[in-house]
Amino acid sequence: MATTNKKESLRGMFFTWALLTAIGLVISVYAPSRLMPRSMSDNMHLTILTIIVFSVAAAPVAAGVYAVALHALRHWMHRGDDVPAPASEQTREHATLTVSWVLASTLLTVFLLIWGLGALAVDNGGNGANPLVVNVTGQQWLWTFSYPGSNVQSPTLVLPEGRTVDFHITALDVTHGFWIANMGVQVDANVGTTTELHTTPNQLGQFDVRCTQFCGLNHAFMVTTGTVVTPAQFSTWLATQAKAQKA
Amino acid sequence: MKRSKAFGTAVISIVLGGGALALAGFALASAAPHQAPLQCQPIAGSPGNCTLTISSYPDSLAGEHGTTGGAHADWVSYSNYNLDVPANTTVHMVIKQYDSGGSLNNAFFSHVWGTTTGTATYSIPSTDGKTYSKPAALSVVDTNNIGHTFTLRGVPGNGTPIFVSIPLPANPATNSITIGSGTYSSPVLVSFTFKTGSKGVYEWNCEFPCGGSREGQFGEAMSSYGYMSGTVTVK
Repeated sequence: MATTNKKESLRGMFFTWALLTAIGLVISVYAPSRLMPRSMSDNMHLTILTIIVFSVAAAPVAAGVYAVALHALRHWMHRGDDVPAPASEQTREHATLTVSWVLASTLLTVFLLIWGLGALAVDNGGNGANPLVVNVTGQQWLWTFSYPGSNVQSPTLVLPEGRTVDFHITALDVTHGFWIANMGVQVDANVGTTTELHTTPNQLGQFDVRCTQFCGLNHAFMVTTGTVVTPAQFSTWLATQAKAQKA
Repeated sequence: MKRSKAFGTAVISIVLGGGALALAGFALASAAPHQAPLQCQPIAGSPGNCTLTISSYPDSLAGEHGTTGGAHADWVSYSNYNLDVPANTTVHMVIKQYDSGGSLNNAFFSHVWGTTTGTATYSIPSTDGKTYSKPAALSVVDTNNIGHTFTLRGVPGNGTPIFVSIPLPANPATNSITIGSGTYSSPVLVSFTFKTGSKGVYEWNCEFPCGGSREGQFGEAMSSYGYMSGTVTVK
């Protein structure tokens, strides 16, 4: 009788796990691309893909935890004020379960490690043959951008599509955080230090540049806009700005 | 019975805790400086245009902090920090700059940005403060001789994008004039125009490091609302 109850109990837990895993997989596949900012660079595409893969890998594990927790809440919760009686039977030293758990955890961890190192290597890869250098300066509470070689400065960021951009990032007063969510670019801007970061915009359109370090009174307003334009439009913009700022 | 009593205690604790937090927030909000916005005055016979004049002082004795200067009388300040301007209007702004100056930490802000002409008009007093230079339209001023900047910018998604930044040269005059309970010298006069778009709230602040010594001179007056920063509301 006890064995039948145990089998039914495990079957119920398995179905709960299967259902929660299915829900988790659906959320893992569809939520990131819909909830995260629109991808406008290879970096952001890789970031979204990594989050999807990690979420898919985590879904059955999370579902297992929730299935056991739900099962315990439903079947093993003691009601009443009296002291609960000792359990009739306990599972101890279950070799198959222990080995399976350790093996699954190891495989999962190694997979995540290899994927993560691969993604990091791609993210930190070369910055192309002809990168566009943009100097980024953060100060309370504005971003300013300059384009070396052209003497152009701007309070907004304009980038050409398809060309690797090499950001040289620094700060003048306190630590700021240079963040372009749409491009998967985020790094601290530190006083007295220039940090390099590169990305390749691959979608035309507008994006926001925000500060991610709480940097003082108007930190919340340390936001500016950026635009990815075609290479021809970028050349025209740069020439126009150079002429206007020379005058 | 015990359980319901514990539940009741938890609910009362949460309500009282939330109430205490709300009270503390209300007290802080009430203690923050409030100033009636300075309205952009319509220019007679010139629809779609208005004029606004503010001042920058080396202390807080002549502006909205009163003749006592408030809590920090020695802090630099602008005369007004909340400004109201109409939508889709050309704003003719004048800033009287009474303070001395020094070097900017970012040459970007020695340029004039976002005005309708690409320039601002500068009139500098003589050392004795009795005469003024002929007004000159400039797009950039000496990076090493700046008193303050008036830098106005929008927040993406809120109203028409605006970015206006005006460098205010250091005041060379040494004469004495009294305004409020402060003693100053004849001001540098800076005038410029910019156009507003749709309704929205914009932030402005000074980008010359003129606050306390901490945080790269961006502490104290630069880090406290109502001295070197404020809002422009386009209505």
